Parts: sequence; C-alpha cells; structure tokens
Amino acid sequence: MSTVLEQIEQQIASLTSRVVKKNTGNIRTVADGVAKIDGLSDVMYNEMVQFPGGAIGIALNLEEDEVGCVILGDIAQLKEGDEVTTTGKLLSVPVGRALLGRTVDALGNPVDGKGPIDAKEFYPVEKIAPGIVARKSVSQPLFTGIMAIDSMIPIGRGQRELIIGDRGTGKTTITIDTIINQAKINKVGLASGDKNFRPVYSIYVAVGQKNSNIVRTISALEAAGALEFTVIVAAPAADNPANQYIAPYSGAAIGEWFMENGMDALIVYDDLSKHAVAYRQISLILKRPSGREAYPGDVFYLHSRLLERAARLEGKGSLTALPIIETLAGDVSAYIPTNVISITDGQIFLETDLFNQGIRPAVSVGLSVSRVGSAAQIKATKQVGGKLKGELAQFRELAAFAQFGSDLDAKTKAQLDRGGRIVELFKQPAFAPQPIELQVSVLFAMQKGFFDPVELRKVVDAATSLKSFFTTRKDALLTEIRTKAALDKDLEAKLQAACEEWKSSYSA
Amino acid sequence: MSKQAKNAHQLARQLFKLSLADGAVSDERVSGVLAYVAKHRPASPVIVLRAYYRLVAAELAKGQAVVEHAGAIDGALLASIAAAMSRKYGRTVTAAAKPNAALLAGLRVHVGDDIYESSVAGQLAALAAAV
Repeated sequence: MSTVLEQIEQQIASLTSRVVKKNTGNIRTVADGVAKIDGLSDVMYNEMVQFPGGAIGIALNLEEDEVGCVILGDIAQLKEGDEVTTTGKLLSVPVGRALLGRTVDALGNPVDGKGPIDAKEFYPVEKIAPGIVARKSVSQPLFTGIMAIDSMIPIGRGQRELIIGDRGTGKTTITIDTIINQAKINKVGLASGDKNFRPVYSIYVAVGQKNSNIVRTISALEAAGALEFTVIVAAPAADNPANQYIAPYSGAAIGEWFMENGMDALIVYDDLSKHAVAYRQISLILKRPSGREAYPGDVFYLHSRLLERAARLEGKGSLTALPIIETLAGDVSAYIPTNVISITDGQIFLETDLFNQGIRPAVSVGLSVSRVGSAAQIKATKQVGGKLKGELAQFRELAAFAQFGSDLDAKTKAQLDRGGRIVELFKQPAFAPQPIELQVSVLFAMQKGFFDPVELRKVVDAATSLKSFFTTRKDALLTEIRTKAALDKDLEAKLQAACEEWKSSYSA
Repeated sequence: MSKQAKNAHQLARQLFKLSLADGAVSDERVSGVLAYVAKHRPASPVIVLRAYYRLVAAELAKGQAVVEHAGAIDGALLASIAAAMSRKYGRTVTAAAKPNAALLAGLRVHVGDDIYESSVAGQLAALAAAV
C-alpha cells in the first residue's frame, strides 16, 4: 500500500519539479509606451512579452541586437534593467456571447464595473484574413434603418462600407443608428420564432475618443435597448497609443468569433484616422522610417489587414465592417482617406454644407457609393427606390443650373420639385432608424405621387403622418411586406389603398 | 538614434566580428581589437567600447551556464549540467556555480538569454502569477 503511494508521490514530484525554460531580456530604454530590450533572442514577431508588475508588451521591432516592444498597461513602474520574458503566445482577447452588453478595453478586460467576464474562449488579436476559397459573395442585406442609405447605398452582410466626412457631420450617429436598427430587427426576429432568422450582433470600437463621447454612445445604445446585442471596445484618448493601435484588432477578433460560429456581426471602427495617428506615434518612437505625412510605410497594410477580416464565409456567418474616417475640410484625397477608400467596398460621404442646411443624415449622393450595389437589397426596395439615386443626382445638377436663371420649362420645374421632395423625405432624426417595410411604404407613396400635393416645407410632417398611419393602423400590411420582401400586384394594390386612405385622412 | 551613435554601433559590430575565432570569442583577438581602438581612436570611443562590451558579454554568456543554487552543489552535478547544455546548444558550455539563498531550494541555470528554472522560488512565483 505504502509503496504504491510512494510511487504516486514520486510521479507527482517528477511532474511538479519539471524545469521551465524562459527566454529573457533586459530593458535598455523605456519611453512613450515603447521599450527597447536587450536579449530576447528567441522572441517572435508580434509575440506577447511579460514585463514586471503584470504589464505586457508586443514585440514589434526585431533588430540585430535589440527588440522594440510596445507596452500595454501601466508603464510607470518599469525601469532600465528590468527583466522581460517571452511568453510564446500571441496576444489574445476573450470572445463569445459573454461579452455582449459589456464594455472592454483593448485587451478584453472589463471597464464597465459590471464584474468579471466569464469567457470560455480566446481569439488571437492578429489573424490572417479568410482566403478566397472560404469566402462567399455579399448578397444578404444589412439594414441601417436610414432611408437614404438603405435605398441608395445598400450595405450587405460581409461588406466593408466606409463612412467618411468632416468632424461633426454625423458619422458616429449613422453607425449608432445602424447598431440600434440591428437590435430592433433582432428583437422582432427572435420574438417571431423564425428558425431561419439570423440576428446581427454589433461591436463598437472607440479609438482615441473622449471618454465623455464613449459614455454618450453607451447611453444612447442602452436607452434604445441595443446594448444587450453590442460589445463596446474602448481605447479612449487617455489610453497609451499601443492600446489604441491594438483596439480595432481586438474588436475584429471578437467579431470573428460570431462569424466563425455561424452568426452575423457588425463592427464599427470609430475612427481609423485616430488609429493611424496612434500607429504613426508608435512607429516614430520605434525609429521606423517615415513616409508621406510622417506615416510609416506599412500604414496601408495596417488598415488593409484589418478590413480584410470582414467577410461572408461559406457555410458560416459574416462580419460587416463600418470604418469611419474623419476628413479635414472635406479633403478626401488625403493619405489615410484615399487608402481606406481603396480598401473598402464603397463609402458614405457626409457633407458639412448639407449638414448645416439641415439635411440630416448629410449623405452626399454623388460621392457615396456601394460597390456591392443592388445585390444587397431586397426586391421591394429595388422596386420602389431603384431610380432614386439617378433622380437625386439629376436634381442636384438641375438645382445648380437653376440658380443662374428663373425661366425654367415645366419638365425641369417638375424634376426640381420632385427632387426637393425626395431630399425632404430622406431627412431623419438621430437614433430613430426605420424598419425596411416602413421605408418601402414611404418610398411607394412618393413614387405614386402621394406627396406631390403637399407643400415642400410640409413634406417631413406628411411623411411622419404616413409612417404613424402605417405603424398604428396597417401593421399587418407592414408584416406582409417584411415577410414577402417583394411587392407583388396584390401587395401593391393594398399599399395603394392604404396610401389613399392616409391621403384622405391627412388632407382632412 | 543619432548618426554618430549609429556609426559607433556599426563599428562595434565590426570589431566584434573580428574578435571571433572559430565562432567563439578569442582572448587574443579581443586584446588586438582593444589595442587597435587605443591606437586609432574612433569618433566616439566610449559609445563604441560600450557597445562592443555588450556584444562580447552577450557572446560569452552563451558559452557559460551560471548555475544559481540554494544549498550545496557538487562538482559532478555542475559537470553534468555543462555536458547537457553543450549537447543542447551544440557548442562548448562551461558551468559556474553561484549561490543564491533566495531560491529556497533547487536550481536556476542561465545560458545567454535562456533561463532554466527549477527552483522553489520560481514555482512559487509561477503560482502567484496564476492565482
């Protein structure tokens, strides 16, 4: 008996006294969130290294006799000569449903005071994007709830659509509206019990923003009941540049979990201009050669490898990316905007002038495009809004010429009148996304001329009245549009009748 | 890094390469290098010599296993560690004992940047990090 126990004890002893090999180095210099380290001869590119005091770093520069690391965490305790060890691991973040409704930092640690996150899985922050074979073309719509976008610049699941514009033009608002709309659709879909319904989970990555702005965003999502379907990754302006550099990749890893597990996810990068600035700061401290606007040579790869991770996968789910870029004085030809424009599958350009004229969302129809096009639209939207973009572009052109003279022929006047009404119809308040069936109904009414007798300045009121009429009295019809997703003769007749009914009550 | 410092580091690396004979640091060659530097003083001699010192020290550390131990250690164990390390790294590694009571029990072996930890203090530290 005792011999057996001794044998087991010996076995345990042999296991517990196993020799652990570590590869180490010593800090030579530490400044601005970057450490230069002697040694670490076995370190790999992008490997996580352990600093004293719990801080971790990522090896970004492997040089002949030193290693350059960005430090994630508190650097106040670090000093020259401190020992650094390799971990043999790539930086990973917790992923899964447990993160929904939570706010985390760039490393996936909770920062919302709601306690620890019980995540079962971890995904590497840096990952090679899915290849050609694994991908599927984008053909399923992702409704933003914004009529101007859903009808003219449709976004599909797995698409990368850039939102670009000057500061204060409503870029973040569009993305929050989209997240809120996904939550609304999810609630309706999950309540319906439809087995084919695929909810869309959202990830909002805040890079270099003020903490007050992040709190405002969280509050807006919470007030709309969208936080339970959303993960917030926060790397505010007060965070060190390394955290701001990592945050979008962490968000992508969280989104990839949903995609890999057969679900659909939406990720918002707010914004990639500040992300590029954080990376420039790190690169300059690492003494990497600088190029145009002092950005390093691989700033294109910084964003291309991030955005390529958005995809629709064969037999799995999808990850849709909405990156945001802030322009200066509307200059879309600057370095970072042109880079991201060329990477994405289209852009929604927001104009300061339109915003100041009260046209909100201030979408510039001429400069905005979705390269996926009508493949990501339901048939009903195509039927009622297929020609809208052309009509609106024609209106803008005519409106510009009409400023020079007052004598206009009847046809031109009619076109201007119609264009003006479309512009009014597309005005939409913030945080109030509209369901696609309601959008279809309003656009149907517009196409059939129900708004023609309404005075231009009263079009918004009329549209509000029509929406209210449909939601309160024609719920069955809206459900039918949503489920059929196309307007057949029967549905068109019902819509026509409903619009007539509204018209009589509205004029009365 | 300034251009002067960059040049100094480059020179130090060149001098270091000249100090190697059959892949190992040669005492004779190091003396020769030092004599050369004394005779033909480079632009930043202190920076050059410091960088040279670091390179030579790192190379020498690769050829020596520093065995930290708590308690007694015999020559046979040191010799077996030296033989094992020589086999592992494919070069001659000598072993030198260095008492360290903070280890509580067991050994810690340093070879260049690598550390082989088999001490109670190391296990306690790993346990503390895991909790």
